[in-house]
Amino acid sequence: MGRSILQASVTDRGLVLDPRTKILLLLNMAIFVLGSAGGGRVQALTPLFCAMPAVLLLSAKKWRTAITYIILFSVSYVGYAVFGDITTGFLHYFLLSCCGILARFLPSIMMGGYLVSTTTVSEFTAAMLKMKLSEKIIIPLSVMFRFFPTVFDEAASINAAMKMRGIHLGGKNAGKILEYRIVPLMTCCVKIGEELSAAALTRGLGGEVRRTNICNIGFKVQDFIFITVSIVPYVLWILDIVGI
Amino acid sequence: MNNDNKIKGKDLINIGIYAAIYCVIMTCIAMLGYIPIMMPLLAVFCPLIGGIPMMLFYTKTKKFGMITIMSVIIGIYLWVTGMGIYPAIFGVVFGFLADLVAKSGGYKSFAKTVLSYGVMCLMIFGNYLPLFIDREGYFASREKFGQEYVDTLGGIMQNWMIPVLIIASFVFGVLGALLGKALLKKHFIKAGIV
Repeated sequence: MGRSILQASVTDRGLVLDPRTKILLLLNMAIFVLGSAGGGRVQALTPLFCAMPAVLLLSAKKWRTAITYIILFSVSYVGYAVFGDITTGFLHYFLLSCCGILARFLPSIMMGGYLVSTTTVSEFTAAMLKMKLSEKIIIPLSVMFRFFPTVFDEAASINAAMKMRGIHLGGKNAGKILEYRIVPLMTCCVKIGEELSAAALTRGLGGEVRRTNICNIGFKVQDFIFITVSIVPYVLWILDIVGI
Repeated sequence: MNNDNKIKGKDLINIGIYAAIYCVIMTCIAMLGYIPIMMPLLAVFCPLIGGIPMMLFYTKTKKFGMITIMSVIIGIYLWVTGMGIYPAIFGVVFGFLADLVAKSGGYKSFAKTVLSYGVMCLMIFGNYLPLFIDREGYFASREKFGQEYVDTLGGIMQNWMIPVLIIASFVFGVLGALLGKALLKKHFIKAGIV
């Protein structure tokens, strides 16, 4: 399941952004939406940022994900405003924190999902190479990038298998959760990882010579638009610090 | 540096794989942080459970630099998932220290490995740093979670928690390493993975 959602396909993907733009957008998300940096005027812009993943997902033709995101986000956003006044006590706390947490984390999760699901590993590597990063960072990062969907996939399968045996929260063997989840997960991942590394080595990853890459990445019009938008909060932030 | 000590493609791929496992496990645990009482306990659970994949990783580590790269990547991951820039900085510093500790044991010594993971776990404290440096700013950013959340968390996270959290990260890092070693013996060696 996770694989089909998270694995990037090269055909039929609508508007293509440069991976570097996507990374910049994701960082912006982490700094301004999750990290709440930058003060009042920047924070006023956050709805704009929260709308961005929706636009991007639509532009990448991920209709289902985009619509789910829009619905979930608007429900939690509106819910936050509505429930805040009409409920009290525990219910108030519970609903508020649910909505608050969803509204806060969903945009970044979606942005991360967009990055992973629309970028192939080669493109990612090519972009990192153009950023002149050391290979020592690029290879682990791109392996991780490729590996996240697999880990989640395996975790979900193991989850299902263990639930059947009563090893879940509230089940009769709840105490064994830790051992019986993590050990098979790691066994699977290590096995897959070994195959992955054998495959990567045959393709010359980590060899002595510099690898070539046929991915055609570069900044286009759409990239400049998104980059301009993402620079705005930094400008506002600096203006704030300078005191204008 | 001779050729055997150089980090090669295979090592880098290993780092990527274990970093991915570690990050997934950490994310699952960190979700618990939204219950206020669990927040300081993250310094207990992250090192404790993270010890299992990390101990497996240590068995594959024979070269200087691998632990540093690993913790830098975990730091970057934490940064992107909204923990602020401090974990990334802490990742560089404590990863390097952990590497030095492990190196002094030749990457084989049991005690040094355990100690090294304990040092690496100090990086978890980076997650809490914004809370103590810029208290008001931190809680203002958490206001959306509801006033009760802010009050409860503020009540728990007094300044005396700083040393407690640092010590807890380290101690439970060591315990996690021991747990990891025990599981390693029980399962992974038998399965022929190590």
